[in-house]
Amino acid sequence: MNSLCPIMPFVPFIALMQSVVEFDNVGLRYGAGVETLTDLSFTLYPGSFHFLTGASGAGKTSLLKLLYLAHRPSRGAIRMFGHDASTLPRDRLPGLRRRIGVVFQDFRLVPHLSTFDNTALPLRIAGVQEKDLRGTVAEMLAWIGLIERAEARPATLSGGEQQRVAIARAVIGRPEMLVADEPTGNVDPEMARRLLQLFAALNKLGTTVVVATHDIHLLQEIEGAQMMRLDKGRLSDPKGSLRHPPRPLVLDN
Amino acid sequence: MLLDFALPAHDRKLIPEGRLSGPMPWVIAIMLFLTLLVAAGGLTLAEAARQGGQDLARQVTVQIIESDPAQRAAQRAAVTRALRKLDSIAEVKPVPDGQVRALLEPWLGTGVIDVDVPVPALVDVRFASVPTAETITRLQSTLRSVAPNIRVDSHSSWMAPFFDLMRALLWLAAAVFLLLLVATSAVVILAVRSTLNTHRETIEIMHMMGGTDIQAARLFQRRVALDALLGGIVGFIVAAVVIITVGGRFAAVEPGLLSGAHFPYYGWAILALIPLAVMALAMLMARMTVISALKRML
Repeated sequence: MNSLCPIMPFVPFIALMQSVVEFDNVGLRYGAGVETLTDLSFTLYPGSFHFLTGASGAGKTSLLKLLYLAHRPSRGAIRMFGHDASTLPRDRLPGLRRRIGVVFQDFRLVPHLSTFDNTALPLRIAGVQEKDLRGTVAEMLAWIGLIERAEARPATLSGGEQQRVAIARAVIGRPEMLVADEPTGNVDPEMARRLLQLFAALNKLGTTVVVATHDIHLLQEIEGAQMMRLDKGRLSDPKGSLRHPPRPLVLDN
Repeated sequence: MLLDFALPAHDRKLIPEGRLSGPMPWVIAIMLFLTLLVAAGGLTLAEAARQGGQDLARQVTVQIIESDPAQRAAQRAAVTRALRKLDSIAEVKPVPDGQVRALLEPWLGTGVIDVDVPVPALVDVRFASVPTAETITRLQSTLRSVAPNIRVDSHSSWMAPFFDLMRALLWLAAAVFLLLLVATSAVVILAVRSTLNTHRETIEIMHMMGGTDIQAARLFQRRVALDALLGGIVGFIVAAVVIITVGGRFAAVEPGLLSGAHFPYYGWAILALIPLAVMALAMLMARMTVISALKRML
């Protein structure tokens, strides 16, 4: 952001930060059934960290699907990175999706690709040159402790190892928003802590993180994390702090 | 679109080798073999019709109808002389009596001809260029001054039904050619749909990571192009062997109606283009099938 304010040309410019995601009365219905998500309204700012909790069937995965643009809402409006994602033409969605990292609950690794190739996939889709991505991917695999298994296929990896590859794939492109569905469900407590550290490090660099989990103890691991609780498809927000969170200020001179 | 053919090695891994191949190159090889045979037949017919039509349209036969053999021989000599004086005529060939009798023997028998039936004398004439009806009428009047009972028969008039048949066969060959291309396209579409179903999960993952429809289509285009290329090479080689072998048999046939029926040299260039055209068609079909299928995903 540039210093464009005409009355304060020599004073640092203080601006209100733009939201990453805004949900406004969003509802989601599969086919002709009842609404899975109802009247969701919330705003996520850059650098915020959210845990999404709720009982099984509360709609956590459906909400994440809206966040990673796998579905459009049945009603209401979603603004994402300044675009109206509910009506954006289909051919412009890939551009938004490249700004989002996703950890799927069932990992969804490509079965015939190696650990290295699975991790490198988002970078290759984004058109990053091979010479530029090799070092980054190797560093990431070393960090999650799978550099020795770089050539292994997913079928030969344990559940925890597959989950780590899925996380590495989601964060390798330094997304502006990271959406993770039960990302620590299959790993031991030590690896869970390391992965959350990775999320926290990304978050400090400005990535908005949304983690769906049943494990409310994870909340204590991340300082300043907010909780979003879903109950039967509705967001519990009695004080309106999710709908209207304090807008962070950004300093720019 | 053809640039999409070259994919980096890591992208090629996304759709594993050998999934689209299998029966697909062989089906394409068979379809192409049939397509090339039909094309070769069509080209041969077209060449025969072109050459035969040109030759026959320039030829007429003059019949000298005279019962007295001596008079008939004298008139034939006079007609031949008169014809040779005309600039518009390239060749004059009196048909020997023996050859005329030989032509009639199968219908009239040998004994009857010499005694009872006055056989006309014939003179074959080839014009330098295709004559108009007016030219033939003028020729007829000129010749009547030396031989009053003559008839000029244009070869093109009695060969017309034969050339109508050839034209009909040409249309039939074109229709079969197009049908085979449609069938080849259908095979490609079915194979791509089947592979798309097999790899739907991979495509969905690519999609969720910001992959575009075109990126996904490229993966399939390449596989289909390779299969079509392999099938095309096999189909072309087998068809070439058949065309050369059958062409040799045609050449051994005594000249007649089939005199112009040979596979033209330029035909090989056209045949060589067909596998490439089929490859491009297959790539286009693959691209359209994938993009249309992916449009149903968000």
